[in-house]
Amino acid sequence: MFKDFKSLLNINWIYFFLLLIIFWIGEINLYSAAGGKLDPWAIDQLKRFIYFLPIVFFVLLLQPKFIFNIAELILIAVILGLLITLLFGYTGMGAKRWIRVGGLNLQVSEFAKISLVIFMAKYFHKLNAQKTIGIMRATIPLFVSLALFLLVAVQPDLGTALIVLILGLVAIFYAGIKLIYPFLSFIAIVLISPFLWNLLKPYQQNRIKIFLNPDLDPLGQGYHIIQSKIAIGSGGLNGNGFLEGSQSSLDFLPEKETDFVFAIFSEQFGFSGSLLLILIFLIFFLIPVFKTFKLTQVFSKIMLFILSFKIFLEFLINVSMTIGLVPVVGVALPFMSYGGSSLLSNMIICALLMNLMSVEEKKRMFS
Amino acid sequence: MEKNKTSQDSIKIFNRRSFIITFIGLIISLIIAIRLFSLQIINNSFYKKKSVENKVSIKSTPPLRGDIFDNQKNLVAANSSFYEFAIYKNLNKFFLKEVNQLNSLIDLDLNIPNISKQLQSFNSYIPFILSRANWEQIVKFEKNKFLFTSIKIIESKKRYYPYKNLSQIIGYIGKSSDSSELYPQGIFHLEKTFDDHLRGKPGKIFNEVNSRGKIIREIAIEEPIKGKSLNLTINLKLQNFAQSILPSSNKGSIVVLNRSDGSILSMNSNPTYDAQLFEDRNNDAINSFFNDSDKPLLNRAFNGFYPPGSVFKPVPALLGLKKNILNENTEIICNGFTSLADRNYYCWKKGGHGRVDLKKAIKESCDCYFYELAKQINIDDLSDFANSLGLNMIYNIGLSNAQKGLIPNKKWKKTYLDQGWYQGETLISCIGQGYNLTSPLQLANLYSALINGGKFPYPRLVKEEPITYLGEELNPKHQKVILNALKAAVQEPSGTAYKLNIENPSFVKIGGKTGTSQVVRIKEEDREDDLYKTKETEDRFKDHSVFVGYAPIEDPKYIASVIIENGGSGSAVAAPIAHKVLNFAYQENV
Repeated sequence: MFKDFKSLLNINWIYFFLLLIIFWIGEINLYSAAGGKLDPWAIDQLKRFIYFLPIVFFVLLLQPKFIFNIAELILIAVILGLLITLLFGYTGMGAKRWIRVGGLNLQVSEFAKISLVIFMAKYFHKLNAQKTIGIMRATIPLFVSLALFLLVAVQPDLGTALIVLILGLVAIFYAGIKLIYPFLSFIAIVLISPFLWNLLKPYQQNRIKIFLNPDLDPLGQGYHIIQSKIAIGSGGLNGNGFLEGSQSSLDFLPEKETDFVFAIFSEQFGFSGSLLLILIFLIFFLIPVFKTFKLTQVFSKIMLFILSFKIFLEFLINVSMTIGLVPVVGVALPFMSYGGSSLLSNMIICALLMNLMSVEEKKRMFS
Repeated sequence: MEKNKTSQDSIKIFNRRSFIITFIGLIISLIIAIRLFSLQIINNSFYKKKSVENKVSIKSTPPLRGDIFDNQKNLVAANSSFYEFAIYKNLNKFFLKEVNQLNSLIDLDLNIPNISKQLQSFNSYIPFILSRANWEQIVKFEKNKFLFTSIKIIESKKRYYPYKNLSQIIGYIGKSSDSSELYPQGIFHLEKTFDDHLRGKPGKIFNEVNSRGKIIREIAIEEPIKGKSLNLTINLKLQNFAQSILPSSNKGSIVVLNRSDGSILSMNSNPTYDAQLFEDRNNDAINSFFNDSDKPLLNRAFNGFYPPGSVFKPVPALLGLKKNILNENTEIICNGFTSLADRNYYCWKKGGHGRVDLKKAIKESCDCYFYELAKQINIDDLSDFANSLGLNMIYNIGLSNAQKGLIPNKKWKKTYLDQGWYQGETLISCIGQGYNLTSPLQLANLYSALINGGKFPYPRLVKEEPITYLGEELNPKHQKVILNALKAAVQEPSGTAYKLNIENPSFVKIGGKTGTSQVVRIKEEDREDDLYKTKETEDRFKDHSVFVGYAPIEDPKYIASVIIENGGSGSAVAAPIAHKVLNFAYQENV
């Protein structure tokens, strides 16, 4: 079940330090979001990071084979967790998203993403496909993805649910589904979207309209995005400087410590700082991706690629949200948004990635 | 071997797909970078401005309105402080409870249902005025201050008008009809005309606020600039005196003019209103002003238009001299009436004046003399000439609703009555009746023109206005003839105003002309029957009493124009008032 302790030395140190750098930027950002105080967010997030470190070590030490073996168990546990959330969950901000586990409010949907990827990786590994995959062989992954999507979407948590769905679809695509299917689905979506529009409730239509033009409701639903754009736009080339973001310090930016941390960052560090952050996340994404090219085991490839992609995807969606490129759907910025479940799940993902990257590949290692 | 080939193929597919996904990820990153470039570099200044607007709230502070002084630097319109109970909705959720509490504690007699209705839609951050607070109420409130969190006492500035009899000159201020205008502006008369001059510039307080509008710190203050003060030509002493001698039983007005620079030294109109009530927002009183049939808002000296009566006679006389229709020695015989086209035109004196020359005609106000003159006068000439002497024109002296009155001509009659002109109407015009309408101020200007030899100074209420001149030069000989006659009317026995000399021999010597402004046209047949007499006895049909005089007689400085509505003949009522006011002006050397 466990690897040798010494194997810890074989991890990809560059990746590890990059992780620390991103977390450290996040800490600085939370510190500035509180107006130059560690309280309440920065210190909390740091404590969580330290609490979670044992879990990271635990995951790092797991044998990949063990993870492979318990893939279905993890999936079942997560589905149970989601059902428990729906039935007994703790309600906050109009949605049932949390359950209490050992003094922590846990957002099971965050782990749905990991469990889905592990399940997919095992499924396609065992499929042992020779070439591209037909629709029949993608049915089970598709079904599991949709099931998780629905379980999360009814909470309701559309942002997380969409990430789950995208990860499932990208995994199927990555695993080699015939290109005709994504192509056909794309056309189908385009064709039925007018009907979907009519199926949406008026408030949902409204939300999309406000996304397209936030000025329709500048003090209501458009407020977040308008204030976020003001914060980012006022940053300029080099930003207003550390702790000099007035949008943040004067509380104009709502949810600045969670969904809109990027606006805080960008207001202070400007265009150049933002580009640097994009570059860091891009490298952080590409390190495991490059590793996949050297691997032959399908399980490892899918795990590395899709989990790494998950962090990058959330980064892209979150930033796009704050700059008005996509509607505000509630996706956290990895390692930078304040919040325990997101931090824990991303730390586990990075642990899994470092674990798999450090393993010397053997044939039949998962059989 | 088989196995190996398979995994080779599938690895190729994986790698190809990972390129595609990574490529899409890169494209999205690029789009984000472009978007950031657009927000942060291209539109940076726009968002920077928005950010500043977000955090800086500019609070406007009211400027003090400029003071208004009389010609002796007495304050006649100023600013005074007063206190009000105001409620800030944002300070306490249960503000309505506090209003009730305040109401019962201090006996404010507030209309609670009405107030709560108004408060519902009221901005939380702006004080809502509940009521005025007098000194006792303030003391009571301060003792119980701990009970109230949302109610405060605020100090405000209010316009203060100490002299009611200047209301028809100064006017009043009020809420602007332009809703973007924060502060009151002049609504009427000088307050309106000189609003820009008096208004001042609001100050600004720049505050840094957070998203809930809470002030974090004060960034800068721009002090408000008080409006410039305005100096009236009015002499307060004379104004008060003139008001005191206006009979309270009759409507009427007095205007006193300095003939050398056009300064209006006093201008009174009775009844008047109290501009302070507008500032106190006493709506009942304000409505009663507007609905009062006596029209207290009407400045009768400026905007009261009446037939001038005999006061007008110097105008046709001068025109006759100018046109060589007559000279100072031209005589007629007055039998009490004259005829034109089968109609009789009567002199005011039954039985007539006998032999009358020009001087006597003016001195004794013989109507027949002017009827005879009128037979040779073209009404258009008379109208134009009267205009050059200051009648039939608008005087922009800063008062609202300026009107020009009327000296009729043929074109006017054609336009407004769609009738041709009859020479008989010229006869009536020449004695100042008929269609003629003049204001007391216009008549004062007419006499200013006579005394100044034709060119006379434009009347002014405000010292800041430059002195300008109007009119055409008169022939000095003609002027002398007229002034002699006007002097004789007061100073010589049988002059229409001779009794002024007898009643008040110690007063300054004046010249002038009486007039009787007919309210009802008296038809010739009415003169003989009883109807005329009943008309005369009923007050509202009584003629208006008119007098225009000037003093001192040797070197005139002051001109007084008086009208007393329904006062009867000019000699009886208006003339003594004019004499008193001229004497006062002269004695006090205003």
